Amino acid sequence: MSDHPDFLKWEEHAGKLMKGKPLESLNWQTPEGITVKPLYTAEDIEGLESVNTLPGLPPYVRGPMATMYAGRPWTIRQYAGFSTAKESNEFYRRALEAGQKGLSVAFDLATHRGYDSDHPRVTGDVGKAGVAIDSVEDMKILFDGIPLDQMSVSMTMNGAVIPILASYIVAAEEQGVTHAQLTGTIQNDILKEYLTRNTFIYPPVPSMRIVADIIGFCSKNMPRYNTISISGYHMMEAGANSVLQTAFTMADGLEYVRTALQAGLDIDDFAPRLSFFFGIGMNFFMDIAMLRAARFLWHRLMSRFNPQNPKSSMLRTHCQTSGWSLTEQDPYNNIIRTTLEALTSVLGGTQSLHTNSFDEAIGLPTDFSARIARNTQIILQEESEICHVIDPLGGSYYLEALTGSIISEAQKIIDEVEELGGMAKAIESGMPKMRIEESAARKQARIDQGLDVIVGVNKYKLKDEKIDFEIREVPATVRDEQVARINEIKASRDNNEVEKTLAAITEAAKSGSGNLLELALPAIRARATIGEVTQAMEKVFERFVATTRCISGAYASEFAANPGILETLRKRTERFLGTHGRRPRILVSKMGQDGHDRGIKVIASAYADIGFDVDIGPLFQTPAEAAKMAIENDVHVVGASSLTAGHKTLVPALVEELKKQGGADILVVAGGIIPPGDYDYLYERGVRAVFGPGTSVIDSATRTLDLIEAAAG
Amino acid sequence: MQKDPHYYIQGVLDANRLMLSRTITLIESALPAHQEMVRTIIDHLLPHTGNAVRLGITGVPGAGKSTFIDSFGTLLTRLGHRVAVLAIDPSSTRSGGSILGDKTRMLNLSVNDRAFIRPSPSGGTLGGVARKTRETMLVCEAAGFDVIIIETVGVGQSETTVSSMVDFFLALMIAGGGDELQGIKKGVLEVADAIVINKADGDNKRRAELACREYQTALHLLTPGSKDWSPPVLTCSALKNSGLEEIWEMIGQHRSVMLTNGEHQQRRKQQALDWMYFLINDGLQNWFYNNPEITGQLSELTKEINEQTLSPAAAASRLLQHLKH
Repeated sequence: MSDHPDFLKWEEHAGKLMKGKPLESLNWQTPEGITVKPLYTAEDIEGLESVNTLPGLPPYVRGPMATMYAGRPWTIRQYAGFSTAKESNEFYRRALEAGQKGLSVAFDLATHRGYDSDHPRVTGDVGKAGVAIDSVEDMKILFDGIPLDQMSVSMTMNGAVIPILASYIVAAEEQGVTHAQLTGTIQNDILKEYLTRNTFIYPPVPSMRIVADIIGFCSKNMPRYNTISISGYHMMEAGANSVLQTAFTMADGLEYVRTALQAGLDIDDFAPRLSFFFGIGMNFFMDIAMLRAARFLWHRLMSRFNPQNPKSSMLRTHCQTSGWSLTEQDPYNNIIRTTLEALTSVLGGTQSLHTNSFDEAIGLPTDFSARIARNTQIILQEESEICHVIDPLGGSYYLEALTGSIISEAQKIIDEVEELGGMAKAIESGMPKMRIEESAARKQARIDQGLDVIVGVNKYKLKDEKIDFEIREVPATVRDEQVARINEIKASRDNNEVEKTLAAITEAAKSGSGNLLELALPAIRARATIGEVTQAMEKVFERFVATTRCISGAYASEFAANPGILETLRKRTERFLGTHGRRPRILVSKMGQDGHDRGIKVIASAYADIGFDVDIGPLFQTPAEAAKMAIENDVHVVGASSLTAGHKTLVPALVEELKKQGGADILVVAGGIIPPGDYDYLYERGVRAVFGPGTSVIDSATRTLDLIEAAAG
Repeated sequence: MQKDPHYYIQGVLDANRLMLSRTITLIESALPAHQEMVRTIIDHLLPHTGNAVRLGITGVPGAGKSTFIDSFGTLLTRLGHRVAVLAIDPSSTRSGGSILGDKTRMLNLSVNDRAFIRPSPSGGTLGGVARKTRETMLVCEAAGFDVIIIETVGVGQSETTVSSMVDFFLALMIAGGGDELQGIKKGVLEVADAIVINKADGDNKRRAELACREYQTALHLLTPGSKDWSPPVLTCSALKNSGLEEIWEMIGQHRSVMLTNGEHQQRRKQQALDWMYFLINDGLQNWFYNNPEITGQLSELTKEINEQTLSPAAAASRLLQHLKH
């Protein structure tokens, strides 16, 4: 209730237009649990601490820099990398010529997980979702003709962070660039890997030591380099709503700060080099408010450490538009989505931005789609005239109120994490992961009912989908090329020197003293491979095995208003039980090094709610392992999920393994990011159904049941 | 689906993994025709069973059961054993479906050729779980597995059920925050042949040893089930692979003591008898509640009880009359 003099008049007017329904029925419950009203007034922002501040001054709600884009616009930093170092290098050079300002390297999953390209577990992953890097020689090719003293380079690396950062440093040395000249960012945010993307190598404790060693080395030797990019992006992509993204990202940040302090560093030695990375989705005002709220919260959280340097409590962030919001259906719509998300990021005050290419729900970006993505930002910067005013939405009743709500909701979750003993402990308890997965299952349920609209997917669908643009294919020869270069390097290097330097790394891992990054440099100079340096630490640290937990009931509970849809399917599974003596049973499996498990978690939770018995396979299975599990559990069907281009190798291999182990009658279906052009390839190799992005769970479950029933007779 | 039971019998005796798995599916099936087949199959396989070590493992959620079984089972395969793990998953949802994630926590064992892991949805009634698990255990033995591990979560009466079909029942615990014995059901301690405190590693080691002593004291207050065996309390770390060999040695010692004093044979005989009584009760209940005359009358009598025109005792007595016919 507002005390605006005319508020009652407004209520009366609005009430008449409501035709008898109460005004409250216009309230919108956001997925974050915030109630959004149809009208905000001055009263809604009264007393809010985050209102009426100035940019460049604490608490930085309106931006970390005093002049923001009025002084200099954000950095256009496009994330890219695929197949070989040579191909990626050529792609980077073309992008830089066309107006891109910074580089951002995407590595393939084999590299992320510390496996060289010749390792048997990665046959389906080499060069697929990023560039394959096996040694400093690949790194030198990647940056050939790109002066590393002038180019800020961001590297998305968390698992194999020691050998990759060391390779970058050594590649720079060999260009004649000193450590102190290097600028850029290494993601180095291992905590979120245990929450969402699973591209970790070691258990949390040694991984946190690695983080501390990197912060320690860089704060001494690379003062212009961001040692960590605390990332909420992957949480959002895994299904976290904006409050969860904010809270868990802040909590991760706090944990890194405490780790560095424990390692004996002074807060002002490293905190100014911490940067953030947020994911921006389609909820326009919510995510603008999220970035403002995050800056406020970080300042508040850091103040307790009494930093003297103002930069220590100043949140600087990179943003990326949501890959999850891209659709395979009617894909040109993605250009519009990305434009809107880019505007969100910019109005929220980001320091750099990646805009996705419209074809990324289908395959890797091409030069064409990358150009459109890049130009989306250039047009915002150079045509729209939005850069002239700092935080132009500051003072908006709605936006300020929303900023306040996110601050208070996120603070509650941060407090909850703190009570568990900080983020590392909270991750052990499984709490953050369960929250994110619950949020994801609920979102899927809303989409499947059409409550959350996605144009072209659950509304205004095209009758005929026709792809009239080129799709980039990674040539199958990439792995052979990489293996040949590994063999060449191993034949020409001084193996004694390699062994000696690797042994020093192992020793430091064991003793707990010595800086692992510093010790990796001589090994990389001696041409030890990424896999060998990883191994040298793995001998002591061991490889981490994640436990897969899954919630049930979250998907179904969102169907409260539409129970009919689920009931139909439940009746079918009941009927199946009556006829065949057991429920339909499915194994959901992720093969290869792809750890993006949001999809299978949502499927597992939803299928169980529909009345399936669901077995979840462990991450990183080989096709033979998945087949053995399918046979021992005697499932009717295996659902293989692939998001990183491994489907053409791994899924047919699964079909073959099932045949070999006697389970030829076990059905195989595939889901994930699979280009429509590959469907026939998979069908010809025995895959019974392919579910692309945007397939509703109801559709996929119905078709899977059809197949199971037909096969069971 | 093959209709000839001998197809399954031969498959199991050939130690064919797929046939073993399909036979278990038949056992788990609710269809009377499948049940009929299972009876034939079990009858034929029975002579090939009985020599395995039957091991039941229970523990509260978070005790690290799956990690323990993963490490312990791997150790056993290295010692030359073939290990079958039957995991009863309680995670059924309201819809009747379930999520079975156990193998994701037994990463080493699940890819081991000398091991077979079968998670089963608990579904239905406790009687159902008991019957299925017992029969599944028998076919695994017939397929040549010489250690059978049955994993159960400490809920409901599943421990008592599982303990009544194994030779050795192990309760896995972790050091808590002080009041070690709180929240642990006395029933578990009474049927346990040993208690093992897991996660005795790193910072936790000392606490685990403390808990170990507390359990020892607590067990002294209970009368052991056998005059020759006082349930010991051990510590281990499944994660760090420590203390596991000692546990296997202890189980072996238990076996030799029980074989020597005849209790092993006695226990198995008693289990067979218990099993018969269980089946009689189960069969009676099934027969009773599936009898259309009874179910018809039952709903009428329910109404009368609700209207308070009939006493519950009179209603029960009238229904039980059917047993006489």
